[in-house]
Amino acid sequence: MMDSPVVIRVENVTQRFRVIHERPDSVRELFSKFFRKKVKYHDFEAVKDASLSVRSGEVVGIIGRNGSGKSTLLKVIAGVYRPSAGCVTVTGTIAPLIELGAGMHPELTGRENILINGLLMGFSKQEMLRREQAIIDFADIGEFIEAPIKQYSSGMFMRLAFAVATEVNPDILIMDEVLAVGDFEFQAKCFDRLRRFRESGKTILIVTHSMAQIEEICSRAVFLDHGRILADGAPAEVAAMYLKSGIGEHAEPILVEAPSARA
Amino acid sequence: MIELCRDTYRYRELIWALALKELKIRYKRSVLGFLWALLNPMLLMLVLTLVFTTIMPMISKPHYAIFVLSTLIPWTFFAQSLSYGAESIVGNADLIKKVRVAKLVFPMAALVSNMINLLLSLIPLLLILVAMKHPFHWTWIFLPVALFALTLITLGGNFFFAAANVYYRDISHILQIVIQLWFYVSPIIYSKDLIPAKYQIFFKLNPMYYVLNEFRLSIYDGLLPEWTNIFACYVCGLASLVIGFYVFRRYQDEFVFYT
Repeated sequence: MMDSPVVIRVENVTQRFRVIHERPDSVRELFSKFFRKKVKYHDFEAVKDASLSVRSGEVVGIIGRNGSGKSTLLKVIAGVYRPSAGCVTVTGTIAPLIELGAGMHPELTGRENILINGLLMGFSKQEMLRREQAIIDFADIGEFIEAPIKQYSSGMFMRLAFAVATEVNPDILIMDEVLAVGDFEFQAKCFDRLRRFRESGKTILIVTHSMAQIEEICSRAVFLDHGRILADGAPAEVAAMYLKSGIGEHAEPILVEAPSARA
Repeated sequence: MIELCRDTYRYRELIWALALKELKIRYKRSVLGFLWALLNPMLLMLVLTLVFTTIMPMISKPHYAIFVLSTLIPWTFFAQSLSYGAESIVGNADLIKKVRVAKLVFPMAALVSNMINLLLSLIPLLLILVAMKHPFHWTWIFLPVALFALTLITLGGNFFFAAANVYYRDISHILQIVIQLWFYVSPIIYSKDLIPAKYQIFFKLNPMYYVLNEFRLSIYDGLLPEWTNIFACYVCGLASLVIGFYVFRRYQDEFVFYT
């Protein structure tokens, strides 16, 4: 794997956000400039000077506490944000599962959403129609595929989103804590698919709070803290380091198997 | 500008799918569904005919409903596109924050969905034409010329307001008021000949003045396009598109932080 090509190259990336404290987006802001009343904000660096190279075929788990910059890093790689500093180079098609059902419209049916979702990811209509049946089969939500997805349970939602993202056969799959929703049977199906993905030389980036997942499927783990990459290496070691980092700051140690941490 | 054409072509399927999605949502849960796109102008025509032939006949024209509809249909496209366009980025914030997507598809889709509406509303217009025994002028063949200029103007506006609304949400509220006012200063319910000579100059600052005139000439009067008029349409159209797209492009990478 050491000689396979680098598909994701993150170089000295910093992602800065302006956090506005009160009443954003209004003409008042414009007026306040005239009246010299300052709009209150602070700049916040969600990711600080991060560098990371991922080779094709690697499965990289990203761990860290809430607010440590994991999702931001994924979004920078997925091209949602343009980094404030540094640069990101990605080779190949990406299927981002940043959050459940991004780009799915509640009023449209599952079938209609499959097409829109695929087009949003940059795949052609022809390609999506060709894969439609496979997606529906994998999601396995029965008649619901013809119903507007606002009527879906969160599990069905996740099944459909996962099915679309993996069935389009992307070179790189990005997942942000999405696996927690499915039932054990579907989770097993997902892991099975992830394993096959890995075997076919595809790259996976995954954010999770489950250390078991990290050690089970990842070939490498990255530990983020306050926007910085603190550790990068073998899953077991990095996971241990992450767990240890909690002790001392907290009265009790962090649970190894944290329950679904999605807000 | 080349970039605009290239990206439009590249994302044509996505733009089309988003436009259809918008229409589907607009007519969802209504019994008549898409029929509303046809019924709306019909019902409006009834109201117009009633109001302007019985209640205030002084500015009336023969076949007044057709007189008004010939400009009201393009106007509705313009006004609706702008309101949808202004909301297009903010309304799709969810998407923009989670998926990498070319931002220009949203104002584009707002335009396309309203264009479909416009084309659909030509059907009832034809029916009304037949019902009122108004001649079907061969000058209809010049409509695409006017329609294309209208598209340029509207698209420029869509880009501009979509970007502006990201930073100042007040824009979409202000826009609603401006559109109302704009409606009355454009020759839609009255003829441009009714404008007093000394005010003509001000009315001619309005890009829609030329475009609407072109529609009325082709549909209602059955007259050939006025070439100076066409020229004015395209100057306004290109100016609008260049400014609108420039502003949009300048700020599009920042949208994600403000939506």
